[in-house]
Amino acid sequence: MRPFLFSKSSAANQALAKKNSTTQYIAGGTNLVDLMKKHIAEPESLVDITSALPAKIEPTAKGIQIGAMVRNTPLANDPTILAKYPLVAKAVLAGASPQIRNMASTGGNLLQRTRCPYFYDVTTPCNKRKPGSGCSAIQGENRMSAIVGYSDQCIAVHPSDLCVALAALDASIKIQDKSGKMQSISFTDFHRLPGTTPERDNNLPANALIHSIEINENAFAKNYAYVKVRDRDSYAFALVSVAAAFNLNGDQIVEARLASGGVAHKPWRWLEAEQYLKGKTANAATFEAAANIAIKDLRPQTHNGFKIPMLKGAIETALQQCLNP
Amino acid sequence: MGFFDEPFDLTTAAEGRVEGIAKVTGGGKYAAEYKVNGLCHAVLVGSTVAAGTILNINTNNAKQVAGVLGIITHLQKPLVPGMANEEKIKEARFGLPIFHTDKIYFKGQPIALVIAETLEDATYAASLVTAEYKEDTKIVDFNGALASVSLTPAGKDRGDIAALNNAAQTIEAEYNIKAEVHNPMEMHATIAEWIADDKLKLFDKNQGVNNVQRTFAKLFNIPVDNIEVISEFVGGGFGSGLRVWPHALACIMAAKLVKRPVKLMLTRPQMFHSVGYRPASWQKIKLGANADGKFVGIHHQAKNGTSFYENFNEGITRVTRLIYHFDNLKAEAATVPLNLSTPTWMRGPGDCTGDFAIESAIDELSYKLNIDPIDLRMKNLALAKHPDSGLPWSTNYINECIEKGAQMINWKDRKATHSQNVNGDWSIGYGMAVGAWNAGRGTASAGIQMQKDGTLTVQTAMTDIGTGTGISMQNIAHESTGISKSKIKIELGNSNLPPAPSQGGSNGLSSIGGAVVAAVAALKLKLAAYAASQNEAYKNATAADILMSDNGISFKTANNQFISFTSLWEKNKLAILEVEASSGPGTERQKYAFCSSAAHFCKVRVNRKTGKVKIERLVTVSDGGKIISEKAAANQMSGAAVGGIGMALMEEQATDERLGTLVGNDFAGYHFPVNADAPIIEVAFINKPDPNINPQGSKGLGEVGIIGTAAAIANAIYNATGKRLRDLPITPDKVLLG
Ligand SMILES: Cc1cc2nc3c(=O)[nH]c(=O)nc-3n(C[C@H](O)[C@H](O)[C@H](O)COP(=O)(O)OP(=O)(O)OC[C@H]3O[C@@H](n4cnc5c(N)ncnc54)[C@H](O)[C@@H]3O)c2cc1C
Ligand code: SF4
Repeated sequence: MRPFLFSKSSAANQALAKKNSTTQYIAGGTNLVDLMKKHIAEPESLVDITSALPAKIEPTAKGIQIGAMVRNTPLANDPTILAKYPLVAKAVLAGASPQIRNMASTGGNLLQRTRCPYFYDVTTPCNKRKPGSGCSAIQGENRMSAIVGYSDQCIAVHPSDLCVALAALDASIKIQDKSGKMQSISFTDFHRLPGTTPERDNNLPANALIHSIEINENAFAKNYAYVKVRDRDSYAFALVSVAAAFNLNGDQIVEARLASGGVAHKPWRWLEAEQYLKGKTANAATFEAAANIAIKDLRPQTHNGFKIPMLKGAIETALQQCLNP
Repeated sequence: MGFFDEPFDLTTAAEGRVEGIAKVTGGGKYAAEYKVNGLCHAVLVGSTVAAGTILNINTNNAKQVAGVLGIITHLQKPLVPGMANEEKIKEARFGLPIFHTDKIYFKGQPIALVIAETLEDATYAASLVTAEYKEDTKIVDFNGALASVSLTPAGKDRGDIAALNNAAQTIEAEYNIKAEVHNPMEMHATIAEWIADDKLKLFDKNQGVNNVQRTFAKLFNIPVDNIEVISEFVGGGFGSGLRVWPHALACIMAAKLVKRPVKLMLTRPQMFHSVGYRPASWQKIKLGANADGKFVGIHHQAKNGTSFYENFNEGITRVTRLIYHFDNLKAEAATVPLNLSTPTWMRGPGDCTGDFAIESAIDELSYKLNIDPIDLRMKNLALAKHPDSGLPWSTNYINECIEKGAQMINWKDRKATHSQNVNGDWSIGYGMAVGAWNAGRGTASAGIQMQKDGTLTVQTAMTDIGTGTGISMQNIAHESTGISKSKIKIELGNSNLPPAPSQGGSNGLSSIGGAVVAAVAALKLKLAAYAASQNEAYKNATAADILMSDNGISFKTANNQFISFTSLWEKNKLAILEVEASSGPGTERQKYAFCSSAAHFCKVRVNRKTGKVKIERLVTVSDGGKIISEKAAANQMSGAAVGGIGMALMEEQATDERLGTLVGNDFAGYHFPVNADAPIIEVAFINKPDPNINPQGSKGLGEVGIIGTAAAIANAIYNATGKRLRDLPITPDKVLLG
């Protein structure tokens, strides 16, 4: 690890004032410290923001606000979250391990970097780590890589589980920029596709802070599911994951949400399948038809053709589980 | 009186470990945890290419870092006499000639060592060392390189496998297992201190202190006794500590260079290429049987990966000659050199690999023959004698393991055809497999120090790597002296203590048990000799005649006349009584063959939609002879079974052929099972003593716990789904596409 200066800020504006291109914010540190140990991040100084940002979950006029410093464990245990936005809790608990969830912050989870193995190995080419150096995964080990939305520059996936639920629920992100101004970005517009700039994971303006996440009241607290298929039952990133939710009128689906992790550079919404589910009877045949719509235009890599049948199975399983969460 | 005349009493509550409290309270010190005055830190720099020659190394930037004390490279290094020239390097058979070559054999191979005041300084400075290489072509993909080597005979043929052509049913199939890494929880570490020019003290993580001592005595050309190796607590090994690895030598060289004690602890990523691994393997089996299920013969071919600087043959076909009787047998093997570090023994080495293929093939054959897999095995077990050597087994209760395991898992609930047990998206299946291991014994020594109050300290150089060696020594000492366990202290893992073999190959307890019994006998004789000054009758006592208790001794034929330790000590002006004795195998090895064995049973659920495999139950019944410490033994077995789950379902060290690199060298990328992946392992023992192997009758358990587990799981998956998966690990993708 490269030596660095460390300071702690007790207010957002203080932190913003200290931030520049050689400075990095540190929250729980569960991702950043690893990146520093591997010389992927080499900041000259760190600003600890754990006391600078809200760590509360509070009601708002339209729904709920989750402070950027709410750790994953309290987020998953919060009574309001469990009562009104249980999909969020379910997704959080599918991620990492209890120890990591105790440390990991909500803001940090959104900004965690890909788990592409080449990204973590500085001896190998990687466009995301070192723009222009090439993408090792395309011709290499790409079992975990994307099957949709990727480019010839990068085929990495976003590793978060929480973000899949937040994308499904149409959350929005409150951001405070360097000048202290607040703005809101819809969750689905926050993370980016790799295109020709795979080094950029998201649209957070330079030096800005994530202040909080907002979720509007919704009708998805009764029929929801988060299914994560992985190589082991805990403490592993998703091969594919599915956040599903709908509200029912009798056995008719009024509105549905369907999103996936482990398939793209950002949490991926299956909008066409969502559209299809609208107004249909909630049964196995409907679920299978929706899954078939989701998988129809996917383009797997050399090692991950399996993700297509797996995704289909995971979508069907998740939709089925929505009936009995 | 023989050891067995005194019954063991294991009906009381299962005890913990002698070192348990120290371990869980942090009192126990692992190699890297010792406080040593003046200690500085060393960090290795690895090659960034997989094959080639070092052209130059630039250490200028690293030297600028404050606190840097020195840098070792192949160009600048303290003298290691045992590696002074090519010839000596060859003779030393140390493996990688670290810092004594400009050749690069694998990526991550140490090319420099930075020594600094703090770990942080050393780590940072190490990141600033750069090198230029002349790169050569590299190969790291085992499956791609397989075809380039040809097989040679592995042992003598039996009969003629042409007989397979007349078998009623045959199976011919290939099996591939990916490389697996040991990665014990404690990372390998060494603290080296030169006490004098020719005197060395090491705190080191390893499985055998005497082996470390001998290795460095040779390399530095100093007497063995001038090297003290301390490995009192070892946080797991699984075989990775059976060799002395280059980093330990590097640490000693560093201490020589800076003339201060130096600590070198491998990082977790370095663990993946520095201390061996179970090599990737390929196998082909042809197995045939008559319609009645009697095996006709087997043709077993196997290849495993190795490095370019050493040849490591895993011995995959050894187990083919151990469990079943085959009139016709042919075994062939080869090793495939790769640009990777040298593999080594990993729990159940060879046998675990070979057994997966054999036990999978037998399962497959059982469906073809329409014979229950248990019955098929029972018909063919070599129960009377070792099928290769022809020596009668001293004991072999593998059939009882099978019977007991079948009962425990309710084998009768298994459907005889696959895919018959379905519940929603889940398919349920049962599978079983057996495993065996040649049970060994080495010559070991133990010492006893006795105090006036009757307390004993039993000592050996052998390490306890989590195996329960300490608690077992305490039990044996208690049973053979009658002195309360609370008065028996154990000291081990230090080369100043009586020498013993390394802890490995399931030989540890088998070897040390006899030594403890021998030391107790020596102690009894010594006590009798002192007692003779008080009572003439003691003069002719043999060890077997002497009875001990917490307070004193008595002698059967002298009317059991009791003499207290207090009076013995006072009369003879004793301070401390010391004895040492060794014990090892003898002629019994010419009369008998010895094996441990186990039967593994598994119930799985397989999700047909997602490919997820969930292990519902895992039952492991083993014959390890007499169980000396039930809790420690059960812990060995369940740990091994969890290792088997890893081998079956998730462990895989991936490589990238284009880049010549390991893919994913951390615990986020390399998956081994966590609690959620393993049910509570149901462990049972046959627990019958082997009367010939050693005085205490125990045969060793560490390996058989994992030999057969993977096949039991794969066979259960077949029973559930009809998918015969012959490549490990069986990750969800393979289940879906299988
Ligand atoms: C072994 C392992 C397994 C894991 N498994 C999973 C998993 O299965 N699923 C999953 O979802 N996650 C998983 N995680 C990831 C974990 O959830 C993230 O590491 C964590 O959420 C990051 O939060 P943090 O507070 O520790 O972020 P940090 O490491 O402190 O920061 C991460 C990045 O975000 C920036 N940052 C943090 N907060 C803010 C803010 N408020 N404003 C602006 N910038 C900010 C930092 O500067 C840094 O660049 C795993 C992590 C590990 C180490
Ligand atoms: S997929 Fe993206 S992160 Fe992975 S090697 Fe390619 S560029 Fe780097």
